Amino acid sequence: MRVDPGTIAAFVDGELDDLTARRIEREAANDAALAAEIARHRALKAQLTAHYAPIAEEAVPERLRALLAGADIVDTSLSERRAVKRSRFEAIHWGALAASLVLGLTIGLRPWLPAADVASDNGVLVASGPLADALDTRLASNQPADAAVRIGLSFRDNVGRYCRSFESATIDGIGCRDGGRWQLEQTRRGQALSDYRQASSGALNAMVATMMAGDPLDAHAERMARNSGWRAR
Amino acid sequence: MRFEEELVALLPRLRRFARGLARHPGDADDLCQAAIERALKSRDQWQDGTRLDSWMYRITRNLWIDERRAAGRRGVHSPIDDAATQVAGDGAAEVEAGALRGDVDGAMARLPDEQREVVMLVLVEGYAYREAADILEVPIGTVTSRLARGRETLMHYLGEAA
Repeated sequence: MRVDPGTIAAFVDGELDDLTARRIEREAANDAALAAEIARHRALKAQLTAHYAPIAEEAVPERLRALLAGADIVDTSLSERRAVKRSRFEAIHWGALAASLVLGLTIGLRPWLPAADVASDNGVLVASGPLADALDTRLASNQPADAAVRIGLSFRDNVGRYCRSFESATIDGIGCRDGGRWQLEQTRRGQALSDYRQASSGALNAMVATMMAGDPLDAHAERMARNSGWRAR
Repeated sequence: MRFEEELVALLPRLRRFARGLARHPGDADDLCQAAIERALKSRDQWQDGTRLDSWMYRITRNLWIDERRAAGRRGVHSPIDDAATQVAGDGAAEVEAGALRGDVDGAMARLPDEQREVVMLVLVEGYAYREAADILEVPIGTVTSRLARGRETLMHYLGEAA
């Protein structure tokens, strides 16, 4: 074998120029020891790749995603200004949270919402991912106790749309079926895991009462509405 | 793509890299978290148009090295290091090698830090030698020599059938 180990490694790593790589290939065809050495290097690389590949397929933990979920509200090139802005934002955020406990619900985009549950569609905040799935399919009368998204009341609003209130660890609110998607009419930070849950449910129901035309859907009506794709009549 | 979006897209790969360095899943995610926080804080140092992935890998790797050095100063030795020393001392390396066949984590843990990071970058993450050298801020010759030593050790532990 006239090829040095560094060159074999570089060959396997794709670091050689085409001309040299072709020379190695030709030599390996006539040199069993060289071919075996190349195979050994390739096998190691394949074993390592296979071993670590599943990690990149895992769902990224929420604690890591959350670090980046709210960060894009900050829009300046100076870190000092960012820090000032961020601390102001935090003051507003806690203020808003306190106010929402008193007033019921706050309206609008909440930057701490995980990207998976909400999306912006032409400037309209809509449910996506697991939240959209739950609103699409889950019946209030038949949901697992440990469901990540808990459906509260389903009802029609005063323009005839189907709307549903929901609670989860990250977001509570009311979504209304509009144009084939769940438009988020009301959102607030999820209270499902906190001591404020009672207050939150009460506030959510109070908001439902102001939007609702008639009575909430009963189990049968809810099922019929779901099976018809939540299309307003 | 915005900075945060690019970072989010990088997270799966970054977690893989961190797992190779820190080994334990919890430690690896702690490392990722520290790296993200550092990146958000030092965002101004990232030059638009340059590769965010290389920059993030460098941050992650530097935080890990800092942590390892701090642990060393505190006198915290990982059990793996002790085991490796013992093996070297009593000449049972061959027995050990047989026991480790197929145990990639175990074999990787026996590599010195500077070899493990090169192995992760080139063999697992697929970086070119030049790119790995840039991430680690070392000459390209250092990358190839560390990689060669790391490879030999891994092949030794993982066996001919690696």
